[in-house]
Amino acid sequence: MHIPDGILPVPVSAGGYAVAAAATWYSLRKINQKENPREDVPKAALLTAAFFVASWIHIPVPPASVHLVLNGLLGAVLGYFAFPAIVIGLFFQAVMFQHGGLTTLGANAVIMGLPALAAHYIFRLRNLGDRWNRTKVAVLGFLSGSLAVGISVAIFIAVLLTNLPSQLDAPTEMTAIYALAIAHLPLMGIEGVITTMLVLFIRRVRPTILDGV
Amino acid sequence: MKVGAIDEYSSLSSPFHRWDPRYKLVGFLTLIFAFSFVRDLRLLLAVVTVTVGIYLVSRLPASYLVRRLRYPSLFLLALVLIMPFVSGQTVVASLGPLAVRQEGLIASLLIATRFLAILTVGSVLFGTAPFLTTIRAMRALRLPGLLADMVLLSFRYLHEIGNDLQKMQTAMKLRGFGGRSVGLRNIRILAWLAGSILVRSYERAEWVYKAMIVRGYGHAPDYRGYFHARASDVAILVVLLLTAASLAAGQIISGHASGAT
Repeated sequence: MHIPDGILPVPVSAGGYAVAAAATWYSLRKINQKENPREDVPKAALLTAAFFVASWIHIPVPPASVHLVLNGLLGAVLGYFAFPAIVIGLFFQAVMFQHGGLTTLGANAVIMGLPALAAHYIFRLRNLGDRWNRTKVAVLGFLSGSLAVGISVAIFIAVLLTNLPSQLDAPTEMTAIYALAIAHLPLMGIEGVITTMLVLFIRRVRPTILDGV
Repeated sequence: MKVGAIDEYSSLSSPFHRWDPRYKLVGFLTLIFAFSFVRDLRLLLAVVTVTVGIYLVSRLPASYLVRRLRYPSLFLLALVLIMPFVSGQTVVASLGPLAVRQEGLIASLLIATRFLAILTVGSVLFGTAPFLTTIRAMRALRLPGLLADMVLLSFRYLHEIGNDLQKMQTAMKLRGFGGRSVGLRNIRILAWLAGSILVRSYERAEWVYKAMIVRGYGHAPDYRGYFHARASDVAILVVLLLTAASLAAGQIISGHASGAT
């Protein structure tokens, strides 16, 4: 779901950078409002690396396998550190694995990062009433996991749709895009289920992680 | 998956290796954006020439670039195999039931060339200086300290957490986990594997933070005086910025020309 270099027109990639910069600025401002913002940096940084590594785990979905996206859980756990974490993760992806791109870093950060922030707000609903209630944690985990991926796919498709080269055969492109959207539906379910399993695992093993960084 | 060593050839000697990393970031990133602006086929030739020139001057071995192309080549292949057959109206050749269309050919040529050029220049940008120096240069260019700290720390622990994952996967295999069949049980095991990675990293972070405090963390180093630009650094930057500006100007002029006809 990362857009490579060379596809997007410059105004769109520049727009992506502008939105990503605004979201990063907003996140950093929120982080700096904390009493000791630097205290959380190592946790956020190591969890950024851990999420990056966890995305290498492949889940078998016949006939192939998918890798985890986990931007929902990332938002739930990292809170306002989520957007910077995603920018850093995508930067590593582009520079080390040539996955995504340098000019499209902003656009890709918007695709993955804004849904992570949304997931943060969804998961924060946990604070209404008993925050450790198992069912509530599970349901909110599922919602943040599946919705984050869903929103990511929606933004991704919207960006592709609005930037089709004009001379292309529109119906063919539309078919391809719809196929892409439908193909991602099971991914939403899988991400939701796995995020649920993960939040329940963390709740049992190390609940403080769910309190946010 | 192994973390690719992007800076393994950073100790070579070339004008780009010696170039002030701050100027290198500004110059190459501007050039990369100018590349992505090009839509005219004639300018594409200039893009290729500039890219090949930069790679030759950088003295990075060809094998380095080839290795970095291994993954994206799948994307390129898909692009070249699909685009010419599905997009456009002007049929230029037929392969059995399939028609090769001009617009698709041109679009895939444009995308593939821009993609390769950006990837190559990006490889020179990050391959001609130690990665940590490049991050310091970003910090000197006013990247927020909190972000720079996060980049450095996650980069530092990426390898170790990657090794953790590898060890845990080996341990799972030794205990008979195949992981190929689909089932809730297998998915749960994989979710727990991801969870263990997260929990381990979180616990390690607590120790790392304490160790960092002991070593005086919290007093951000100032990198503004760390780099010193020479006249030659400025000269290379000017050449690259002029190249980028010429490409952009060429594209704007050719865009106007084709719009007028």
